[in-house]
Amino acid sequence: MAIVQMKNDSQSSAVLQVYNVCKEYVKGVLVNDNISLSLQEGEIFGLLGPNGAGKTTLVNQIIGLVKPDSGRITLDGVDVIAKPGYARQACSLQAQTQVPITGLTTRQAIELVGRVRGGDARRVRERARELISQLEMEEWANKAAESFSGGMRRLVAFCMAVVVPGRIVILDEPTNDVDPLRRRLLWQQVRALIGMGSTVLLVTHNVLEAERAVDRLAIVDQGKVVGMGTPGSLKENGNENMRLELTLEPRVDAPALPEFIQSTVFTGRRLVARLAERDIAPAMQWARSLKEDGVVEEFSIGPTTLEDVYVKMVGRADAQELPENEVNHDTVAS
Amino acid sequence: MTQSLRSYGLMLKWQALSKKPILALTLVVQVMIATGFIFGLGFFYREITPDTAKFITTGAPTIILMTVGLVLVPQIVAMARTEGTFDYIWSLPIPRLVYVAADATIWVLIALPGLVLALVIGAIRYNFGLEISPLVIPAVLLISATGMFLGYSIAHGAPRPEMANLATQVIVFAIMLFSPVMYPIEQLPDWMAAIHRVLPVKYMADLSRGTLTDMDVNLGLAFGVVGAWCLAGFIITYALVQRRR
Repeated sequence: MAIVQMKNDSQSSAVLQVYNVCKEYVKGVLVNDNISLSLQEGEIFGLLGPNGAGKTTLVNQIIGLVKPDSGRITLDGVDVIAKPGYARQACSLQAQTQVPITGLTTRQAIELVGRVRGGDARRVRERARELISQLEMEEWANKAAESFSGGMRRLVAFCMAVVVPGRIVILDEPTNDVDPLRRRLLWQQVRALIGMGSTVLLVTHNVLEAERAVDRLAIVDQGKVVGMGTPGSLKENGNENMRLELTLEPRVDAPALPEFIQSTVFTGRRLVARLAERDIAPAMQWARSLKEDGVVEEFSIGPTTLEDVYVKMVGRADAQELPENEVNHDTVAS
Repeated sequence: MTQSLRSYGLMLKWQALSKKPILALTLVVQVMIATGFIFGLGFFYREITPDTAKFITTGAPTIILMTVGLVLVPQIVAMARTEGTFDYIWSLPIPRLVYVAADATIWVLIALPGLVLALVIGAIRYNFGLEISPLVIPAVLLISATGMFLGYSIAHGAPRPEMANLATQVIVFAIMLFSPVMYPIEQLPDWMAAIHRVLPVKYMADLSRGTLTDMDVNLGLAFGVVGAWCLAGFIITYALVQRRR
């Protein structure tokens, strides 16, 4: 699938191209296994996958912190494995790791990075003021950043990455620990980056946010790209583009499943399955009868979400939105 | 070049600000170590002549600068490695050695007040005169740079950051007790003296003695040996900070 996508992409204006990148830190364990993808000018591209899928390793190879064992990475046609300095000029990064902001105020941290990235002092000051205001961080603008909570530190790191945005802005889990209201403000700023001429590579394991924020995405699992496209195209993959969700009554055995129900995942008392549009009526009837029989507490039928696609592709239910203590009955159909 | 200087200035500001929370404490500790070092000497010797005091006091700059370069810097770098902050710093569009230079500059500036104080207190307390040559500036810069580059080599070269911390403990012990800084090299066993004729520590002490007093020291040899170690430290540091995992 990845290779087909590459052929299509090479015909349009790709800013970043990753060709068959492989990386192993420990012999025999491929952290990146033949990864190929491309970022088109002016899009928000998501790299979605569970913890340990190899997303950050790929980012570190793009930015020149890690060297691939094989494969090629080009940025504006420049081979950045040979010229990592070019990648550092062209990309601005919000790393997953901590940013060194001890001793600095929010404003100082943002302005310093802006200047380091070649920004003019006056414009950087203005842009820092704008970001602080739009993310409603004025209260923290002149406070020492080492005392900040995790969420506030992430916001400062985000501002540092976008104060003088690169051709590509790489955001690695930008919203971790950030409160829901400021998350919305942050996504507005991410969208605004496109208007400023940047392309965004968003790395996340948060499926719901990715679905709303990205134009296209690649789903990565165990070092491999397992799916790529727009959220819509990924959801439309196959006939079963509807989802049935039902919650069983406590201490009730799971019912026998009819044939039209596919890709069933049990999470505690919650069952999520995919079905084709033509099966909506029989599915409704089946679910209703289960409710009447006292087997099901509640149910719903709606369009497939990216989370469903993600869980199916990744093959295990460790998406952030699912409870961690679920019992997976290994019912994911291929 | 202009771009590198601009980056150096900005990183200097960044590093100075980042040390702000511990700056006062670090300065106090440095001054305490320096003055404690001078007064502590009195306990080693029943009677201390001005010449002996001069010999020992002028070893203080080497001890202080090596403590900063080979102990403090590797410990701070090891902490940053553990936190992963270098992943961020190395992603910035600045030459990595510019960052190292800015960091080293701040550390030398932090070490300088204690260093000067140790010399002044030593001269007054033990009643000897200092004869300061203009060469003291390149000498102090060379000692500092060598200590920093070797410190960076240990900090970035250690397979695990904790190992760098452990190495610094061994180094500080070796420098304090088994290096001909506080006593003449003739007092060491032959095999240890032979090692110290290759290592930079003795020559660093010679540099400070030769540029701060009228002591008879082969300054050319000292500049040569310390310069060679500085170059080696620079090359290793350069290779390590450029390295990709």
